[in-house]
Amino acid sequence: MLGKLALAGIKNRRRDYLVLLAGLTMSAAIFYMFANLATNTAFIKANAVTSSASLIFGFGAVLLILITIVYIMYANSFLLSMRRHDYGLFMMLGAKRKRIGELVFLETLILGTVATVIGIVLGLLMSKFLVGFLLDNLGLHLAHLVAFYVPAIIATAVLYVGLFILASLFNLVHLTRTTVLKLLHSDEQANQTQVKPFRQAVAGVLGLILLGIGYWALAAIKVLQTAAIPLALVTITLGTYLLFRATVLMFIRSLRKTAWAKKHLNSFLLGQLNFRVHNYTRMLTIVSLLFAMALGAITVGSGYHRQLPMMAGNFGAYTIAVHDKTAQEQRLIDRLDIRHQATYTQKRQGKMVYYNAAELAKEPFEQLKMTTGDNVKTSYVTESIKKFQKTGPTDIDFLGLATTSQRMLTPKIVSASQFAKQSGKTTTVTTVRVKDLQRDTPTIKKLAKLERQRFSQPAEMTIGSYQSYEMMTGFFGGLEFMGYFLGIAFLAMLASCLMFKILSGAPGDQRRYRMLYKMGVRYQLMRSGIAKEIGILFLIPGIMGIIDVLFGLQMFKPLMQSPMSPYLGIGSTFAIFLGLYAIYYLITLVLYWRIVLPKGAVK
Amino acid sequence: MTTTNAVVSVAGLEKTYGKANERQYQALKDINFQVAKGEFVGIMGASGSGKTTLLNMLSTLDTPTKGDVIVNGHDVTKMRGNQLADFRAEEVGFIFQDFNLLESLTAEENIGLPLALKGTSSRVMDQAIHEVAETLSIADLLQKYPAELSGGQKQRVAAARAIVHHPSILMGDEPTGALDSTSARELLDLLTTINQKQAMSVLLVTHDPFSASFCQRILFIKDGQIGSELRRENQDRSAFYQEILNELGTFNE
Repeated sequence: MLGKLALAGIKNRRRDYLVLLAGLTMSAAIFYMFANLATNTAFIKANAVTSSASLIFGFGAVLLILITIVYIMYANSFLLSMRRHDYGLFMMLGAKRKRIGELVFLETLILGTVATVIGIVLGLLMSKFLVGFLLDNLGLHLAHLVAFYVPAIIATAVLYVGLFILASLFNLVHLTRTTVLKLLHSDEQANQTQVKPFRQAVAGVLGLILLGIGYWALAAIKVLQTAAIPLALVTITLGTYLLFRATVLMFIRSLRKTAWAKKHLNSFLLGQLNFRVHNYTRMLTIVSLLFAMALGAITVGSGYHRQLPMMAGNFGAYTIAVHDKTAQEQRLIDRLDIRHQATYTQKRQGKMVYYNAAELAKEPFEQLKMTTGDNVKTSYVTESIKKFQKTGPTDIDFLGLATTSQRMLTPKIVSASQFAKQSGKTTTVTTVRVKDLQRDTPTIKKLAKLERQRFSQPAEMTIGSYQSYEMMTGFFGGLEFMGYFLGIAFLAMLASCLMFKILSGAPGDQRRYRMLYKMGVRYQLMRSGIAKEIGILFLIPGIMGIIDVLFGLQMFKPLMQSPMSPYLGIGSTFAIFLGLYAIYYLITLVLYWRIVLPKGAVK
Repeated sequence: MTTTNAVVSVAGLEKTYGKANERQYQALKDINFQVAKGEFVGIMGASGSGKTTLLNMLSTLDTPTKGDVIVNGHDVTKMRGNQLADFRAEEVGFIFQDFNLLESLTAEENIGLPLALKGTSSRVMDQAIHEVAETLSIADLLQKYPAELSGGQKQRVAAARAIVHHPSILMGDEPTGALDSTSARELLDLLTTINQKQAMSVLLVTHDPFSASFCQRILFIKDGQIGSELRRENQDRSAFYQEILNELGTFNE
């Protein structure tokens, strides 16, 4: 009988349960996807750029597990907030505590297990889709990446079911220990905490100092090596927490004294925030860190994606070289935005290739010059023909103009008269250097394809920096992919954490908004009031997260050497990320409106 | 009593719950009465008699099936959406049994809320709050949160919030229901003072004869209909109390 009643309770709130189930399912799916990568050693080895890749993945896995624990805690508190009243009522009607305990335990565990199973299946499908997406759209080819991977399934199942058993036990203890009356009147009481200005000031200063240390550690990653990350993580977490505690409350309290606070629902908004933010300090800290990690990961990922073409410029004096160009190739070349172009005649004989000195004097061959040190600057220089006759034959780009399947031909620069007499197969080669490799990539890709079709020899060294770019895309693919992946995973988790924490406060707010409704507060005013309140709760960790990222990107400077920079073009990445974050905000807002606004108020 | 002098005027009011093809329940049947300006009127009835339903109709929290409700010249039954909210905010002051104070706000902020909704300037607001706080002797409680107040203090803060914007009528739904007898008497004395000094009309819904004995006129409601009416005239309160008890004795038979 009691089981039936409990089921009826769930049916009445099926939409809320659906939200909860969906959230948990997504979380399990994301975890599976990550575990799929992190436990797949063959994949990591094949795609690792740095030797510390498995360390990075291990670190990521630990973070994700911690976040999952926090996430399930919040989801569980949301579940509990929905059920407290019902179970209190059952107990008041005389249900035995033991029986209630069993029900709660089962309910939590069943919900968790269902979410885990669906989550793993979803994770499988998403992995499959993701692999396809990366292949098609980003041009990444990740070796050994498969969607179905048994160790990942086991890891996900063990972690989730284990956590849900813990959550069930927690709920069991919580419900059987709380008095019936407390369960029935579980609406939060506003606890007004005392503000001690001196302590707050100390906490604030300490917070700033800790943040400073953390940011410095990230910038000094070259000196501190791997110690920088844990150091920064601890100091930034503590610093953010202390800073939130000290400043946000003070700020709200000082706002409450202004005339602005006395307009419309502002005083109510500030009052709500005042006791919420205090409750939320820990959660806001976690969310701000997650926000930073998600945004940071995506920024770095897209940074690689965008900046590899710039990097590629360092790897060759010309973008592509075309031999005996056809009319079709000429049309493609005409489409390019060319910075420098030159055409030379070759005579190939045996292991040698001959060039005409007069031609090279008239149209000198551009060479790549790089400065050494931290800030690598590249420039293109030409030399007098006399000098070039000595240096040219050792220049790798110049050598690359004539290769066969067996070897690079040895170049020899001879006078015009000698060149005319020289026997051998005559070939013309045109070198092209474009202004913007990224812009012209599609055209160059076609050119390179034509070149490969026309000449049977592996054209690897014949097509300049474009070839390096192609190789690097594969090379850096792992990092780029991990950036995108972790970013999206963190974002999904953090936003859901925030969502559940906020939603679990909704039942208590129901009563408050009912009061406001009775007092004659307009429906629109209540709606916008809620939008502001939740908006601010989303905004605080967002702002802190952005600051964290701006400092945290320092960490990637050694990995993204000039002309690449982790800060280049971050605007668009930020915009996309904030867009996704805003979508989560809107979902939370709509759910909150639905739970909280008095039914009579809807026209 | 003339119609022009009435703050509340109810004519042919009916409320039926349930849709036409379902089992219906008629909570209110053909209710007619008026409350004059400055009058202190009580509505008495047992649980389920329809008195709270009636109050909800008057305060626009619920819509009548039939009939007219006119409050301070506004035909409440014709209002929609924002008009309804604005009407409640401007014309009606509410005191509830469970106080309905917002626990995240201080007493001062709670009291100021109706003025804030109107967009009153903060200077005028401060003045109004302090005036009403003096009247209700809660000036020293303004900075406290509801959790720090006793039941009687809470209800006085709620009363202050209900009258701070000078509504045309103050409605109380069992305002003494959750108070001990001393606090209840204090609150009723305060309501009487407000009624007399500020000439504010008061409509009190209660099932408690003691609370009702503070009224000038009492309407008895039973099974959704007004059964009888009692006037205090010039009797003192305790004599009126006896009369109410007698009336209840016969009325509930």
